[in-house]
Amino acid sequence: MPSLRLDGRRLDCHDGDTIASAAFRAGVRTFSRSIKAHRRRGLYCGTGDCANCLVTVDGLPGERACVMPARDGMRVERETGWPSVDRDALAINDRLHRFMPVGFYYKVFARPRWLWPIAERVIRRATGTGTLPAVVAARHTRTRFVRVHTLVIGGGVAGLAAAATAAHDRSVVLATEAALGAEVTDPAARDTIARLAAEARAAGAELLEGHTAIGIYEGPSAALLGPDELVEVEAERVIVATGAIEAHGVFPGNDLPGVWLGRGAARMAAIHNVPIGTRAVVVANTGDGAELADALRTAGTDVTLVAGRVLEARGGRQVDSITVLTPEGRRAFACDALVLSLGWAPRDTLLRMTAEPEVVGAGDVVRPGCTLAEAEASGRAAATGTADEPREADPWPITEHDGYVCVCEDVSMHDLERAWDEGWTSSEILKRYTTATMGPCQGALCSRHLAEHARAKGAAPAARGRTTARPPVRGPRLGDLIGGVHEQVERRTALHERHVAAGARMDHSGVWLRPGTYGDVADEIRAARQRVSVMDVSTLGTFLVAGRDARTLLDHVFPIDVGAIAAGRARYLLALDEAGYVMDDGLLAALADGSYFLTSTSGGADRMEAWLRNWIDRLDLHVHLVNQTAQLGAINVAGPHARDLLATLSDDDLSREALPYPGHADITVAGVPCRAIAAGFVGELSFELHHPRGRSVELWDALLAAGAAWDIRPHGLDALDVLRLEKGHVYLAQDTMPDDHPAKLGLGWAVASTKKEFIGKRALERMDALPLERRLVGLRFDGPPQRGHPLALDGAIVGRITSCAVSEAANGPVGLGWLRAVGGEFPSVLRAGEVTATVSPTPFYDPDGERLRG
Amino acid sequence: MSMLVPCPTCGRRPFTEFTFGGELRDVASADAASDFARVYLHDNAAGPQQERWFHLLGCRRWVTVTRDTGTNRVEA
Repeated sequence: MPSLRLDGRRLDCHDGDTIASAAFRAGVRTFSRSIKAHRRRGLYCGTGDCANCLVTVDGLPGERACVMPARDGMRVERETGWPSVDRDALAINDRLHRFMPVGFYYKVFARPRWLWPIAERVIRRATGTGTLPAVVAARHTRTRFVRVHTLVIGGGVAGLAAAATAAHDRSVVLATEAALGAEVTDPAARDTIARLAAEARAAGAELLEGHTAIGIYEGPSAALLGPDELVEVEAERVIVATGAIEAHGVFPGNDLPGVWLGRGAARMAAIHNVPIGTRAVVVANTGDGAELADALRTAGTDVTLVAGRVLEARGGRQVDSITVLTPEGRRAFACDALVLSLGWAPRDTLLRMTAEPEVVGAGDVVRPGCTLAEAEASGRAAATGTADEPREADPWPITEHDGYVCVCEDVSMHDLERAWDEGWTSSEILKRYTTATMGPCQGALCSRHLAEHARAKGAAPAARGRTTARPPVRGPRLGDLIGGVHEQVERRTALHERHVAAGARMDHSGVWLRPGTYGDVADEIRAARQRVSVMDVSTLGTFLVAGRDARTLLDHVFPIDVGAIAAGRARYLLALDEAGYVMDDGLLAALADGSYFLTSTSGGADRMEAWLRNWIDRLDLHVHLVNQTAQLGAINVAGPHARDLLATLSDDDLSREALPYPGHADITVAGVPCRAIAAGFVGELSFELHHPRGRSVELWDALLAAGAAWDIRPHGLDALDVLRLEKGHVYLAQDTMPDDHPAKLGLGWAVASTKKEFIGKRALERMDALPLERRLVGLRFDGPPQRGHPLALDGAIVGRITSCAVSEAANGPVGLGWLRAVGGEFPSVLRAGEVTATVSPTPFYDPDGERLRG
Repeated sequence: MSMLVPCPTCGRRPFTEFTFGGELRDVASADAASDFARVYLHDNAAGPQQERWFHLLGCRRWVTVTRDTGTNRVEA
């Protein structure tokens, strides 16, 4: 016979057993200890709704023993109590209740302050449930996305009826926590479920058994947790058919082992054939009493059925006697099980999670205690768009002034009364102060009681509502929550393999992987400055802007005089937003046919496209914008011998007249058609060769082979950072802030102020009228600077270093940084820790740009 | 949180496919004073608001929708 081990003890498992049924059959009565008072807690709901039977299974805590199927070889541990759950030394807490009043941790250890950290450590160890394993094999749950017309949550009669009806002409997914019908004790209900399941399947509904809905969100959308997947469902309509459980009874001794809610007790007897005791009393005010009594008798329990109010349950290790106020008067019973069916508590947590009108209920959750026929009709109505409005379950008066309201958090009626007297007089505030409803069961049992208590106390209508329900309804594992997160988006250029083969350190740069360095940054810099070098710049955003209104668009959007760019020439441009702040920069090349070729920064391509398309749309322009970023590769050939190198590979005219700076030409290099743009980001004669991505490798190889004559080296991001800094060129986002207008960056020259209109012009005029309070400056240092270091003037911080490097070409350490005006003047000498920083004009290298024209 | 944005090309799609373009505002201002209000003084409505969304992970088209900022419900 298969078996599991509970705290090391071997327990036999019968067919269909849950962990709880196997344990209960073997005589286990105490499944956990309560959080504060360390009272014994046994099986109560038996339906996965309360938190009494949370156990650790094979090292993972927080599993519900009453619904988790038992498997051969399982290792199960009860989580609470010291040294064991059966003999718990901390049970003394139950007698020390007056020292731990409601909200005690807000008050008791508040003074002196040093006491709290110590007290907290002790309290943490004494409370809590299972322990998370420190090391556990990584588990990445697969995430599946589903779009469907109707999502049904719950596989009972109402849910299946809704799915079967909706599936006739709509796509339907139904999620049910257990196998269909597995937890149903009533034979008539089982037959109905089998019939409706067949109907739903035949109509094409997808039935996901073993899938728990853990939350409903705006959309509406829902997250379903399956055995090995997380399913995110977006639906036009969500039908919640999660049913109802018996209402939680509040009376002295209501948390003793041996007190059961009806359906859980019936399952234990009728499905697992385990008697819940020898003598049971069923207290039923619902129509289910006789059926419950019959179910319990099948397992051999002697049952007494009464109606009325439970006044008290007494017992030590478990209940041994009770007092009930029946219509005939007070009656006392000796019994070892008390089964409650006092009223209905709809499982409406999911329904209360969102206000979306597309989320509706069906069956017991809106009509608690309805018959099978009514449940089926309710489900079918919900599927056709005429769902029943939720009917508030019969409110039950709270008459017993003792007993546990929130079983998870050990909050009693006394605690609620006391909190109320202290002035916490609304359901939401009571919740926060007492922590009632905040335990693992998420208020499944007690949320209604809290609202009812506020109502009975006379709270204003706004202060006595049900507290907000939030996901997750069931505790997912960390691995479930990170499902899909490890799938990092990563873009590679066509030359990726070449970089790796050359030993490059590949860095994440936005979504791109780019070479940081090939090993010797200093030599990469020297190659660019003194010989010739290449860099893979395929990540640059590239766009073709064509169509009747292309020039109108560019003129309107960018602050440069687009009309002044002759065909064959190129111009640096800034992209400004409507507030005049710099969003991006790039190059604009005028093509012979009246269209334009535009580049943006590597990280700014998507934003640039969105920005241009927005204005095409808003201004109703006739423009064809083609984002060529993914289609084109680009290699920047830079250095004094750049032109010589290209000449060995091209028959085209590469003279200064044919390909001036800043300008461009369509040429063929090593047989590859290229749009060559003479650009100057690194401060040397350089040509960006934009070419079809599929031919990047042959072009790269040809350039490196022919460049051997000049001892060519490719350079990466590290070298680029120094090369551009020596020229004083800014890295957007590294050197800039979101509210930088061109003058702050020293880029006022890039704005054609004579232009009548462009986006951001009015904002620039506004800001020009104000004194400049902050600006980016070049800095020289007398020692090694540190990026990010504050810049101080007479001990007061007035700026920050945003970029810096020790530069051969600039004869020492240089950088860029922010400076704030002090008394209307920008200081010129600052301290950066041990280093003195002196404001210096930029570029640090080749200030007249003679090398660019080579 | 989830929300569907109606795209004229692709139909109703999850909002995570889009980038947010802010409140719908005029494309230009009559004078400097009104430009200040247009650029900086947004309505930030609590309720229905006309706003722009760009279908970045789709057809790359802009749409103007009315969204209730209190409930995140979107109309075409």
